[in-house]
Amino acid sequence: MHATLQHSEPGKLAGQRSNPVLAEEDSAKQRIAHVDDDPDIRDTVKRILSANGYIVDSYQTMGDFLESLRESENPPDLAILDVMVETMDAGLEAFVEIRKRLPQLHMIFMTSLGEEIRPYFTGVSDEWILIVEKPVEPASFLSIIRSRLEKANAEI
Amino acid sequence: MAIAEFSWGESRSRFAFSGVTGSKLSDEVLIGNARWFIIFRWGVIGILILFQIVAVIASDTLTEAGITHQQGWPLAITLVLCIANIVCIYALDSRRQSSYNSPSINIWAQIIIDLLCLSVVVHYVGSIATPAPFFYVLHIALSCIFFSAMESLIVTILVCIMYAIVLVIETPLLFLSPQSVLIGSGTSGINPHKIDILSWMFTLDVLFVIVWYVVSRLAIVVRTRERQLLDAYEQISRAQVEKDRYAVLMTHQLKAPLDAIRSKINLIKGDYCGEVSPEIKDVIAKIDYRASGMAGLILDVLKLERLKAAARSENAREHVNIEAVIRKCVDKLHPIANSRHIDIKVSVEDFVVEGIRNQLEILFENIISNAIAYSYDGASVEIASIIDRQSLSTMVTVTDHGIGIGEKDLPHIFDEYFYTPRAVLHNRTSSGIGLSIVKTVAENNKLQIKVSSEPNKGTAFSVVFQGEKSASVAEKGVQEPGSPVAHPASPQAGSLEPTG
Repeated sequence: MHATLQHSEPGKLAGQRSNPVLAEEDSAKQRIAHVDDDPDIRDTVKRILSANGYIVDSYQTMGDFLESLRESENPPDLAILDVMVETMDAGLEAFVEIRKRLPQLHMIFMTSLGEEIRPYFTGVSDEWILIVEKPVEPASFLSIIRSRLEKANAEI
Repeated sequence: MAIAEFSWGESRSRFAFSGVTGSKLSDEVLIGNARWFIIFRWGVIGILILFQIVAVIASDTLTEAGITHQQGWPLAITLVLCIANIVCIYALDSRRQSSYNSPSINIWAQIIIDLLCLSVVVHYVGSIATPAPFFYVLHIALSCIFFSAMESLIVTILVCIMYAIVLVIETPLLFLSPQSVLIGSGTSGINPHKIDILSWMFTLDVLFVIVWYVVSRLAIVVRTRERQLLDAYEQISRAQVEKDRYAVLMTHQLKAPLDAIRSKINLIKGDYCGEVSPEIKDVIAKIDYRASGMAGLILDVLKLERLKAAARSENAREHVNIEAVIRKCVDKLHPIANSRHIDIKVSVEDFVVEGIRNQLEILFENIISNAIAYSYDGASVEIASIIDRQSLSTMVTVTDHGIGIGEKDLPHIFDEYFYTPRAVLHNRTSSGIGLSIVKTVAENNKLQIKVSSEPNKGTAFSVVFQGEKSASVAEKGVQEPGSPVAHPASPQAGSLEPTG
């Protein structure tokens, strides 16, 4: 549909990936994956969620996140994805791929364009997708995360 | 190693003349033409029946006019044409399309049957004494319109052959006699009647070929223009998509840094960076307020562009429950109203109108947020509806008790980027395009807007839904069956709230 700019794979350059191997005490905590190419947004999300007892795995690119899903046998409880990361459609393409591989994984989209990005989802997926508009506002952001995780747990 | 190829000078032969072949019509058009041809033939059958009635009433006059005495051929032709029509309708409507039953074959069969019938008519009516042979021209012209130039040329040749056969049948020794005459008594002995027939045949054949040439060229020109129009339309559609992508990209690039700044500000406001002094918090709040205004403006520009582009999209219209739309907008704007102690009073009746749902949401969100923005702190905003059951029109009025609009400014409030110094003093985040968005939505949804205002007293914005199509007033609590708005508490409505 849309022409995309092919970027070279940045490999391990990202350097934003936190160490998922944490102490045993964290096993009860819920893990949230966050993909965003903006370091300030990654930092903000990580601070808010970590302070509220979640483990956050931050990724700079969709490629990094998809790779981690391939390597890990333990997927996160929730994924927060940027829509326009690297290219205009990277978020949507990753969403389709993750939906195929991990249908049970709950995902939230977070974008500067808010609802204005929704026309781009038409035809990509029939399911209703939660789109959160940036900037990150701690109180409402946390309430969205909690309600999504509760929904995810209820399904399990 | 990466290799990339770039080319911008691609010269697509968009306006190239397509030539003789390859200009076939689509099956859909051919089916339409086949049906039209059948209807036309019913007309001819009618004329034939009329002719037979006239023949019975005034047979002598016809004989005097040079038309051969009837031997029942009009009846036979009528029957053949009727049967042909019925078979063609059956093949078009009741049989599946196959390689033996295509619209093209159907039209071919119709043309050949017509030509045969016409030849019979020409034979009986008079091949040179009457204008009957000129009706062949009609078939040539039609075949030029229906088929490619090559196929219509075949039809033209067929016409020439058939006309020749008719003439030969009438004068069996037409082609042989000049020779025998030559041998016998020289050129002076040529039967003038035969020369007459030959000149008729030659002249008409030339006419047929000229008609074929002219009409087939015209048909090609028309088809080429048609394709060019389609191409241009596709190009416009593609350009529209590209324009939207560009607008989305630009909006994102402009807003993303602001969002990063505001996210960091929110960290400070939320005490994620430790305690800060009230002075700093105050400054931070002011920075955030201005940044939010700028973010709003950036998104509004994109919204306005999209609304303008959506003006032509008729397919997005649906039944929209206005009460649900207003509730959703009020829920969204509650935090802002609360922060300024503004009370929003809603007393809207449950009713359904036809329109574009997300656009109506944008319209009410803008009107209500304006009412809040230009109210004085601690005031109230009232949203009420009046349903006029007689004229089937409904009016939703949003009233504030704020700064109001001056008389000389009122005619300009829907102009793009228009704002008054008073408005800016009261609300620094005004983008000046909120009401342009309202106007565009009203245009797209064929709504009427009434504004009444008095400076320092307040403003009332009324949205009028009217007309036979747009207003379908539902009784309170009764939803339109099958209407997608029958469940106002949809999951979207509850969880769509953005974070900021």
